[in-house]
Amino acid sequence: MKLRRQALLTEPPASATSDIAFILIIFFLVCASIQEDDGRPQEIPNSDKERQSKNPIRVGLERDHIKLNGDTMAMQVFEEKLATLLDQKVNEAEKTVAVRCSPTVPYGRWMEVTALIEDSGGTITLMRKVQ
Amino acid sequence: MILQRRKMNAEVPSMAMGDIAFLLLIFFIILARVTDDSHVKVNKASGEELEKPKSKRVSVAIDTNQITYLNGVRINPDTITAALYQPDAPPGQQGLLGDLPPGQRTVLLKIDKDTPAYLFEPVIEAVSKAGGELHHVLEEKK
Repeated sequence: MKLRRQALLTEPPASATSDIAFILIIFFLVCASIQEDDGRPQEIPNSDKERQSKNPIRVGLERDHIKLNGDTMAMQVFEEKLATLLDQKVNEAEKTVAVRCSPTVPYGRWMEVTALIEDSGGTITLMRKVQ
Repeated sequence: MILQRRKMNAEVPSMAMGDIAFLLLIFFIILARVTDDSHVKVNKASGEELEKPKSKRVSVAIDTNQITYLNGVRINPDTITAALYQPDAPPGQQGLLGDLPPGQRTVLLKIDKDTPAYLFEPVIEAVSKAGGELHHVLEEKK
């Protein structure tokens, strides 16, 4: 007489699948929402002629040096001189700082300088060559 | 003789639950990838006294390969202004910023720290032109 072998139970427990999937959903949602977007707000006024200063402070930004009203100087000197210049201005329109940037200046450096200008009380306008 | 009422089987079929949850998972992952730009690789510039943005509705990014993205989708930088705001279009089709009031027109700028000015300045100008309120995404200076 042949004995029949009993078939093995190969089905995975289905009741746990929903719990696993639910935990995965929560995990991905939490991961997606913890991406930090902290930063600096910046106001760059529109090209409103009335708001623009006729004689703004001019900053020339290059990769390795910086110019304030045409004079090349070290970063620390620039910071001090800019603060002095802005203190002498009375109204907001006069506190406009026109930044002309060399095309190769990296964003990190641009951000550092514009943040410094804003912290000193200046309002930035961009000066670009029209192509 | 009292006939006993047959009990009804009110159990929820648990076999389908796994499939439903799995489909939901896929749905959320795809949705998350469409609306955010977490797949865009950016080395953030550093800054101090950082603030949280007022809104995260719109983001413009320039990645390490100097490719420009609007809400995670590749875009030609020349078309950013039109994509953000078209004042002449009918209501509801005026772009991503549309007729949002000031204070809610925040545009997150995620720009790689080595991006040259000839690439990021036109983007900043375009956002500004569309009435966007710039918020540079940075990492805290150590």
